[in-house]
Amino acid sequence: MSGAVVSSLAVLAGLGLSGCSSDTTATTEMPTCAEAEHGNASNAVVLMAQSVPTASYVPCLRTALPLGWGFHHLDARSDGSVFSLDSDRDGQEAIMVRLEESCDTSGSTEILSDREGLQRFERVTRTTPHFEGERYYRFDGGCITFEFRLAGESRGEGLALATSAVGVISRADLIEQVHEDSDGRLSLDPAAAEGEP
Amino acid sequence: MASLPQAPPDPVRKVPVARPAPPAIQRVRRRRRPSGEPPPLPKHLNASGKWWLALSALVVAVWIVVVVTGSATHFDVADTRMLQAIADIRTPWLTRVAKVTGVLGTPAAIYVIWLANWLLLVVLRRWRHLFVWIGVGIIVVNIGASMASTLQRPRPFEVEILGPWAGFSMPSLPMTVLSAFLVSTVYSLVPAGRFRAIAKWVIAGLLVVTALSRLYLAQDHPTDALAGVILGVAVPLAAFRLLTPNDVYPVRYTRGRPAHLDVTGARGDAIIRALQDQLGLVASEVKPVGLAGSGGSTPLMITVKGDPETHVFGKLYAATHVRSDRFYKLGRTLLYGRLEDEQPFHSVRRLVQYEDYVLRVLSDAGLPVAHPLGIVEITPEREYLLVNEFFEGAREVGEAEVEVDDAIIDQGLWAVRRMWEIGLAHRDIKPANLMVRDGTLFVIDTAFAEVRPSPWRQAVDLANMMLVLGLRTSAEQVYARARRQFSDEEIAEAFAATRGLTMPSQLRRMLRQQGKDLHGDFLRLLPYRLPPVRIQRWTWRRVVLTLATLFGGAIALSLIIGNLLGSPL
Repeated sequence: MSGAVVSSLAVLAGLGLSGCSSDTTATTEMPTCAEAEHGNASNAVVLMAQSVPTASYVPCLRTALPLGWGFHHLDARSDGSVFSLDSDRDGQEAIMVRLEESCDTSGSTEILSDREGLQRFERVTRTTPHFEGERYYRFDGGCITFEFRLAGESRGEGLALATSAVGVISRADLIEQVHEDSDGRLSLDPAAAEGEP
Repeated sequence: MASLPQAPPDPVRKVPVARPAPPAIQRVRRRRRPSGEPPPLPKHLNASGKWWLALSALVVAVWIVVVVTGSATHFDVADTRMLQAIADIRTPWLTRVAKVTGVLGTPAAIYVIWLANWLLLVVLRRWRHLFVWIGVGIIVVNIGASMASTLQRPRPFEVEILGPWAGFSMPSLPMTVLSAFLVSTVYSLVPAGRFRAIAKWVIAGLLVVTALSRLYLAQDHPTDALAGVILGVAVPLAAFRLLTPNDVYPVRYTRGRPAHLDVTGARGDAIIRALQDQLGLVASEVKPVGLAGSGGSTPLMITVKGDPETHVFGKLYAATHVRSDRFYKLGRTLLYGRLEDEQPFHSVRRLVQYEDYVLRVLSDAGLPVAHPLGIVEITPEREYLLVNEFFEGAREVGEAEVEVDDAIIDQGLWAVRRMWEIGLAHRDIKPANLMVRDGTLFVIDTAFAEVRPSPWRQAVDLANMMLVLGLRTSAEQVYARARRQFSDEEIAEAFAATRGLTMPSQLRRMLRQQGKDLHGDFLRLLPYRLPPVRIQRWTWRRVVLTLATLFGGAIALSLIIGNLLGSPL
């Protein structure tokens, strides 16, 4: 087989495997709560805020992920956002974090929230052979859902990571950030929507 | 096969072949193309292609400047003010109209365009356009997605977004992909000319309407849509114009072999100009001839000015012929193993040089072949014209009007004997390649000839020549004449080597049409038979090629099923 044919197949395979389907609008940029240089949330967080215009809080990553964990991707759309974390022990997309306008917490148990202004609910759907469960944070205009699919032995690590690494940023802070970044010329939300909960 | 005890051949009688003198062709002074002057038919991208590529480069440059200088806010503010102005005119009915007119930018519509083009191009067997289409789709989607992920521009601020969206906004991925798909559709399905010109205006209109809808619904910033359209138009435009130039790979809905190039228009003019500059031949007309018998090149009859007018024969080769040759040989290797050394050519220049060389070797050896007149470069490394003598008034040996007598038979057999002597095999002895004029037999089309071939291949030439000559006479007559130049061992070896696949398809077809077992007749005439030469031989090359092809096919299939058949957005 000629080199040209081989290289064409390789290019086609490489390009094809790199994605020509549903992942094309997703980004691998991490939605960090505060970027090191100027302390602002990343544009990925702003995009998540735009995906649920009513949400008063937006999830973000506030610390570097521990060894063995990695950021999968963020898929932000007009009807909500989701990002996921991969683990070398618990599997790919072991933790998925969703931001939606609302969520169904039926069957879950409300427990004391570790985040001010957010109601916390927990639901465990499976414990063996791997752990599956959801954690919800409900707040004005939105809901953050953590979906756990932990295949490893130490499931506590994943649950703890969700608490320690995933933070929330208020919409008010993001509005302020956009305002400052544009020298006071732009605001995150339309005028009519501003100030609404 | 094992070497045979070679009986000392009978004294071979010389067959006097009165080789006609070269034709008197009037020539003019040749002209060397000076450095910097474009070739007769330069590769072209057209002005609009360059314009779109320049715009793409400008877009990328602006992106870099914006990222480096951190001046995105200026664009954000300008875009926001424009969107706010558009939002001021929003009304419920206009919103409904915008949602309908923006349907082409939805993932569902783009998916339909993607699959419909796949299907159409497969049905039309327009493989090259299909591969370019897929390549463009993959490249554009990935470039657009990568740029969006790199630039990380949020959706429009301060305006209520009324339509669905996904991911970062710059460039607008739906506009990028839609533009690329529509342009690709035009270049792969619409014939060049008036229809394509109209189609371009239609897609321009569709893109404008879609962009306006997306701006009205505030799904994109104006600069997102603009960058998306520029990127989406430039990539397929450049790809299709460079990889499927219309004069080589025309989009047409009429019958005709794809190997045959259109020699009217710019190419026809280029051929005439090149013939005069490079060979000193002043051509007045270039027209295809004998297309039915030619699948690997475009045969041409070229009228040369003079007193009287004369003709020369040209074989126009393009890069597409080299690729066809490559896949043809690959297919033969996979299907039949090592029939012969079937290494492909790697460039059209090499292919033409080789054929010209073989023609000259045959000519120097006194064989009745066309006098070579030289090679003409049309487009460097892409198109060359091999020019040689045109046998005016010659007819194929298989035609009913042609008288095949002992003299013709002797000349055919002598041609094989002479090729054996000089270490050559023609490898394509068939009725269409043996021409007769005024009692002289000519051997044409040396494209498949091989220097220092295997003895097996030489033997096949002899058997095929005897079979062709026997078509119009009888096995007995040809065999009797053959024994004057070849030993029984040589003839027995020839028929042990030849059967089925080793015969050109035209020869097989004509044998079938005649309904007589000419091959069997020859075998019955032989004083003894040799065991058939095995042609199905597994080699490491065949094994590797088979595995590589299966592996490549599996990858391609998995890609198609798992990825390419999915929605691009």
